Amino acid sequence: MRKPSTLVRLALLVFTAVVVGVVSAQSSTVLRVASTAAVTTWDPSLSFSTEAFYMANLYEPLIWANAAGSDEQFTPALATSWELSDDGLSWTFHLRDGVKFHDGETMDADAVVRSIERHKAIGGAAFIWEPVDKIVAVDDLTVRFDLKYPTPLDLVVASSNGAWIVSPAALDAAEEDASYFEAGIAAGTGPYMLAEYQPDAEVVLRAFPDYWGGWGDVEHFENVVIRIVSDAVLQEQMLLAGEVDLALSLPVTSYQSILDNPAYNVQTVVTPYSYLGFLNTLRAPLDDVRVRQAIAYAVPYLDLIAVGAEGFASQARGPVPQGIFPWSEEIPQYHQDLEKARALLAEAGHEGGGFTLHLTYSAENAIERAFAPVLADGLAEIGIKIEIEPLLWNQQWAVAKDDPENAQDIFLVLYWPTISDAGSDNLWTMFHSSDAPYFNLSYWKNDKFDDLVDEAIKLTGTDRDAAQALYLDAMDIVYDEAPGLFFFDYGGWFAIPTYLAGYEYNVNYPFATFFYPLHLAN
Amino acid sequence: MGLLQFITRRLMLSLLVLFGVATIVFMLTRIIPSNPASLYLGPRARPAEIAEINAKFGFDKPLIEQYGQFLKGLARGDLGNSLATKRPVTKELGSRLAATLELMSVAMLLAVIVGIPLGVLSTRMRGRLGEAIVRVATVVGVSLPPFWLGLLLQLVFVHALGWLPAAGRVDGSLRFTAPITSITGLNLFDTLVTGNFVAFYDAFRHIVLPALTLAAYPIGLITRMTRAAMIEVVSQDYIRTARAYGVAERRVLNHFALRNAVGPTLTVIGLTLAFMLTGTFYVEVIFAWPGLGSFTVRSFLNVDYPSILGMTLFGAAGYVLANLVVDACQALIDPRMRLA
Repeated sequence: MRKPSTLVRLALLVFTAVVVGVVSAQSSTVLRVASTAAVTTWDPSLSFSTEAFYMANLYEPLIWANAAGSDEQFTPALATSWELSDDGLSWTFHLRDGVKFHDGETMDADAVVRSIERHKAIGGAAFIWEPVDKIVAVDDLTVRFDLKYPTPLDLVVASSNGAWIVSPAALDAAEEDASYFEAGIAAGTGPYMLAEYQPDAEVVLRAFPDYWGGWGDVEHFENVVIRIVSDAVLQEQMLLAGEVDLALSLPVTSYQSILDNPAYNVQTVVTPYSYLGFLNTLRAPLDDVRVRQAIAYAVPYLDLIAVGAEGFASQARGPVPQGIFPWSEEIPQYHQDLEKARALLAEAGHEGGGFTLHLTYSAENAIERAFAPVLADGLAEIGIKIEIEPLLWNQQWAVAKDDPENAQDIFLVLYWPTISDAGSDNLWTMFHSSDAPYFNLSYWKNDKFDDLVDEAIKLTGTDRDAAQALYLDAMDIVYDEAPGLFFFDYGGWFAIPTYLAGYEYNVNYPFATFFYPLHLAN
Repeated sequence: MGLLQFITRRLMLSLLVLFGVATIVFMLTRIIPSNPASLYLGPRARPAEIAEINAKFGFDKPLIEQYGQFLKGLARGDLGNSLATKRPVTKELGSRLAATLELMSVAMLLAVIVGIPLGVLSTRMRGRLGEAIVRVATVVGVSLPPFWLGLLLQLVFVHALGWLPAAGRVDGSLRFTAPITSITGLNLFDTLVTGNFVAFYDAFRHIVLPALTLAAYPIGLITRMTRAAMIEVVSQDYIRTARAYGVAERRVLNHFALRNAVGPTLTVIGLTLAFMLTGTFYVEVIFAWPGLGSFTVRSFLNVDYPSILGMTLFGAAGYVLANLVVDACQALIDPRMRLA
């Protein structure tokens, strides 16, 4: 018999190897994910951006905030129980025993104190710890937070940024070398360890065998390979081609086709992402409240939602996103009423409009890019011309902060709260007065509003209902004074393959996808 | 002038060019309104933190002083840290270089092994239908916007036919089934050398579409240039003489004519390398290829100027070097060329 040629043997070898490879790929417990989440830092203190997507799987806070509508507001994580002192100035957390960090260190009160103190000192979200006066390790498994003033610390310790508990050994290393974590090091207690990291390309997570939550109840994924893909259309291609199991940023225009595809279950969600526009209250004619109200009445809210969000949004009620405290259906909202808008303009001495406003938006934001012209069309209906200028976010923000009186008239922004308290975050950050503009880019100052918000913040920890009432009063002022335009709270949807189970979106951790609960269906 | 002397002189001139490029890009990136400290720290950095970073990196110093610092760093090979990733720019470029080199090499190989034979073929088939087909194909290749071609290829080969993957260099789960042992960082080479055929096949499938997209324009250009040069050469006396002696037409074209016609094509290949480097900007974004191109795009969007500067210098150096190599190759291939 003739022997096969070298070429034929090589081809057979390649074919066999390919088949073996394909078969083994299908049998391994790997979850493949496409996400837009780039990593700006691996430092759990500095982290304040899209890497929260990974952090929530690598690290844990003391407690998790549950999704809106849950029976309990919180789920214990590294703390099993907690209590507040009668004066509202001291919170005590009892820690879980026997928890290990990825590097083998033991989680205890000292680790918690050191982690939070570092977040407070250098953190990207350090401001959330502002009310904390000192943190005390009462014993190995008890931590007490003494506050400067009453504050809802349960919401703070459950923050999606700057509340992760970190291994003391890693903190020591970071003290020696400030860029210690940037090599791609994570040292948390979370269910997954950081196995590999290729900047802008791929992140690989591997199951942490000593995870306190265990691995036995369902068949969790041992490995999660996350491909960083910034383009939504490409993510869709990858999902449909079977290159990934989950694609977390799909084009909104593909909603119907995915919904009709029996291979996917579609989950629609409410997100904490609010789209709004700051009106520059320092410049004429926007320094006149009637002009601002006229603009608020001229905004075509429903058209903005249709064009900007393809219908996946609900009209905003003030600066607080739906589903996050202190959102309420009682918060008043403007609706398009062109007659009223024209009357207000005339009353302000601008009959028929006749002036031009300069609007800036973040050039990277496709949603703002889509709805900005629709907004301009709406305002044109009452004779106001809008000059639209896209700027990179970094530039837009720098221009707005450097010289408010010569800055833009309308500043479009996407905002979401860092902690699940949009009162102390959204309301305070965006509309509380300050000497130098920080995020209050309408440059609005209202003493009564400031007092109400300051008071509400102090009450939230001890009497949430009373705080809510104060916030409602504050938002009435925002409604009357119209320093901003509140367009919509963005919704979203996820396509989950029918072979996957356990996916749950948590509005309190909008950047995160929790891989631990995910498993193969059946 | 000897080859060594020529290379030394060109390298010295190249340094001047790179210095000019560095200066222009440095000034351009600094006059764009931007707040580097807030980019470094994130959108909600406190004023005190911003001041600290400004002081640490010298962002608050006069421009000329910052420029001096930059040149000092450059002389030490230090391009500073990326504002977005906080890692040294040299490290960022180094970690992505292999991916881009691999993509460019495969695309260039494709362009040369398709473009030159097509150019010769169209010369041979002058005035016939085959030439017309090649001409139309090359015009299409040169005219098609590459980003559009990339999306079209994805639509056909990924979405409709399901033959090829849409993105990345290898499948995400390959590291668990057939891990690649990195030697050079060039996946195709490394997998072949180590006999990892599963990974080779996977890497090959992943590179086909991006390489084809990147090669479309150079294929057209090289074909057209080879054809034009060949037509000029075949009208010369020595070719007529060769034919008169009864030398086979294939040998006349491939051996005598092509050798003399390839000079201009080599120049085009050198220029095409620069095109390819900028071409990777969109090809890498379209195919989520983790190389220098996608990094550059992200750096531009973030106004991450240490990275922009680093990438621009790298690109300029690559361009200058490619031209130098092409000139040297021309001199070696065609002794009539003078090194000057």
